[in-house]
Amino acid sequence: MTRPFLSIRAVRKTFGGFVAVHDVTIDVPKGEFLTFLGPSGSGKSTTLYAIAGFQDPTSGDVLLEDKSLLAVPSHKRNIGMVFQRYTLFPHLSVAENVAFPLRVRRRPDSEVKRKVADMLALVRLDSFADRYPGALSGGQQQRVALARALAYDPPILLMDEPLSALDKKLRQEIQAEIRRIHRETGVTILYVTHDQEEALHLSDRIALFRSGRIAQIGTGEDLYLRPENEFVAGFIGNSNFLPAEHLETQNGTAVVRLADGSIVKGVKATHKLDRGQKARLMVRPEAFRLTPVPGNASLAVEIIDAAFFGDRRRVVARTASGEEIDLRPTSDAAEPDGTAAASSRQIFFDPASAFLFPA
Amino acid sequence: MTGSAFRRQSFAGLPADSGGALPALALVGLFFIVPVVALLLRSVTDPEPGLQNYAALFGSGTYVRVFLNTFLVAAVVTFVTIVVAFPVAWMLAIMPPALGSIVFGIIILSMWTNLLTRTYAWMVLLQRTGVINRALMGIGIIHEPLPLINNLTGVTIGMVYIMLPFMILPLVGTLRAIDPMTLRAAALCGAGPLQAFRRILLPLSLPGIAAGGLMVFVMSLGYFVTPALLGGTSNMMLAEMIAQTVQSLLNWGLGSAAAFVLLAVTMALYAIQLRLVGARRLAGGL
Amino acid sequence: MLLDYDRLGWLRAALAGFTALVAAFLLLPVVFIILLSFGSSRWLAFPPPGWTLKWYQELLADPAWIDAALTSARIAAMAAVLAVLIGLLASFSLVRGEFRGRQLLRGLLLTPMVLPVVVFAIAIYAFFLRIGLAGTTTGFVIAHTILALPFAIIPIATALEGFDKSIEDAAIVCGASPLQARLQITLPSIRIGIFSAAIFSFLASWDEVVVAIFMASPTLQTLPVKIWGSLRADLSPVVAAASSLLVGLTLCLMIVTALLRRKLSR
Repeated sequence: MTRPFLSIRAVRKTFGGFVAVHDVTIDVPKGEFLTFLGPSGSGKSTTLYAIAGFQDPTSGDVLLEDKSLLAVPSHKRNIGMVFQRYTLFPHLSVAENVAFPLRVRRRPDSEVKRKVADMLALVRLDSFADRYPGALSGGQQQRVALARALAYDPPILLMDEPLSALDKKLRQEIQAEIRRIHRETGVTILYVTHDQEEALHLSDRIALFRSGRIAQIGTGEDLYLRPENEFVAGFIGNSNFLPAEHLETQNGTAVVRLADGSIVKGVKATHKLDRGQKARLMVRPEAFRLTPVPGNASLAVEIIDAAFFGDRRRVVARTASGEEIDLRPTSDAAEPDGTAAASSRQIFFDPASAFLFPA
Repeated sequence: MTGSAFRRQSFAGLPADSGGALPALALVGLFFIVPVVALLLRSVTDPEPGLQNYAALFGSGTYVRVFLNTFLVAAVVTFVTIVVAFPVAWMLAIMPPALGSIVFGIIILSMWTNLLTRTYAWMVLLQRTGVINRALMGIGIIHEPLPLINNLTGVTIGMVYIMLPFMILPLVGTLRAIDPMTLRAAALCGAGPLQAFRRILLPLSLPGIAAGGLMVFVMSLGYFVTPALLGGTSNMMLAEMIAQTVQSLLNWGLGSAAAFVLLAVTMALYAIQLRLVGARRLAGGL
Repeated sequence: MLLDYDRLGWLRAALAGFTALVAAFLLLPVVFIILLSFGSSRWLAFPPPGWTLKWYQELLADPAWIDAALTSARIAAMAAVLAVLIGLLASFSLVRGEFRGRQLLRGLLLTPMVLPVVVFAIAIYAFFLRIGLAGTTTGFVIAHTILALPFAIIPIATALEGFDKSIEDAAIVCGASPLQARLQITLPSIRIGIFSAAIFSFLASWDEVVVAIFMASPTLQTLPVKIWGSLRADLSPVVAAASSLLVGLTLCLMIVTALLRRKLSR
């Protein structure tokens, strides 16, 4: 592997006795869109702040093209950042806001003018140059903030939950803008969010944080289709966990016994488990079917509630051993209804799409 | 995590952030704390160590009368101010802003006008041959001029005039913070205007009334200028007595003791005030 | 419905009438003084037998009045500048500082506003007598700066609390040094607070009577001291003329403030 562009090495941050970040190590290639995803308090923002220079890590290092950033004060790191809250300078016009980083760098007027025009064109706010922040919508403000952060061609752009203050429709609109801008500029982006849809939509890779550690880092597909542990499986997408007992593993597939005594064969074995070890079988709601397919495992359930959602149904059922499970079978013609409340029936899933984790 | 950790260790923390208060602290410490403490010490050391100044203060009928009179004036002023301010604040809280801004303008104008100017106006208006007496006699309500100045009436009118803005402005805030829906709900529950006022509006605005009233009371206790100019010699107030004791009688020990009494009462009431509204809102009332 | 303007019924008329009365009460002395200052009666008869400008002529011809006004302006300007500078530094510390006793410090710095002025007046007077600052401009400025300080700190601290610190941080990420960020971004953003602080602290000194009465010497008198002296002597119409000019000044200040606020808050 070539030398990483940005390297976060064993960064650790403690506040008193509380460890906010445990020795996080990530290498980021140039031009990547990497998202730090995780619940609040998981250490994702703290890691970002260490890169921005708002907080000095307790130990570890942050290297940009092999040079440590830690000794460099924030204002000399030459990093771009878009904040969670609207941080436009209220007394400066949109154009003056975008020009600000260039002015403090004492760039010549002609360059400032050209660059401001380019940036406002990039975020499609050319006609707003003379407006003041107070006269802009939240979405427009964040686009100006983006233009300001990119105006000085920073090698890295940090984005700290930039869309969290916006409503859903605007969020989706600006996500598309951010993707386009990433494509057009090729800037390396580190993006913090707690919204998995946003992370999946935007990122090349996602680092999923949990309690100050990285639970898994990989593409969205990796995290969704190949979760390495129960936390990842549970955090990304929806999932049902069924208590199970591991019977045996052969040729990479496992056999388990569920709580109601039924046997499931052909489960992918990603973890090494002992015979008889307690485990949890994870099945995605959309993996369940109402009609049998050869090779599928079956499960006897009682239907509690069912609703029709267009392309899918949403069914809540209870197994004989009392676990509630969530089903999202497709609602095409091949899947008959037969989900009247309080009725008993069999449901089916492909064991190869299920995951087995130690309990 | 996001906001708090960030602020705690924000990198823009110039030394000025922690040390910035030093000049203010030095100024206030040297020229406020030191002189005031020195004054308090003087009350137990001048002319000789002991509590004789306090004994003289509380042992003499004259001075006790000054204390009582001070409390009486402050209480009367506070009561009248509340009664007059409440309806005005009520109206201001709900009236259309265009109309309300005229009233606000008048309140601000009166508040910002030089204190002596306002007091002077009342001296002229209230004097024996002043406009008010002439007008009242002119329409035949009275035949003799009323004694309106150099007595409790004069002080009350002048002080209420000065204190009104300090009561109205915070009360408007309190009343505006009450959701009109609660009163609509009260009406739907069957409460008539009087009951709605007594059971809903008044209790909800009570914190504002208490806070504003306490502030007016504390300010009135230590007021000097207006009582000195509009009051009479028979109902002198504490602040004027302190000034006279020091300035005319040159009795620093006694003056200091009286000053300490005023300071102690004020600070005690101020502490209650802080409990009631919190330093932030008290300061925000400006 | 007691808080619905449109549904008050007869109560609305009663409240409106009362409010109008109180507004008139508040306006009465101000208007009265202005009318009186143009009246020709030396004994302040009202309505005046005739109209004249002679009280203004008398006022402006008297160097003692002019001196007092200039002294007041000089002291108030110095006290306001000092109070705003010291208050600005203190506000950053009070709002953003992280140290124990911050609330206590806030209380301490605001105490001069709630302590009866007469107590401070005799205390500082005694202190200045001892260290030789009584009756000096320096002494005046120091005492008035202390009284003005709360009036400077409150609006500045309030403005600073309303200013999102992330904006300053954003400026620093953009490449501004912490000092640059503060000067170019934070200060302009809280300028309304700073401006209010300047006005309030100027007025706090300009209108201050009690400390001034003690501190004044025959050669150093502020305008309020001069008015106080005249009031104690007689109710000369010259005072009405001086007072009218003060009301005019207040009106100007109010208008300038309103205009500047509107312009700045855009």
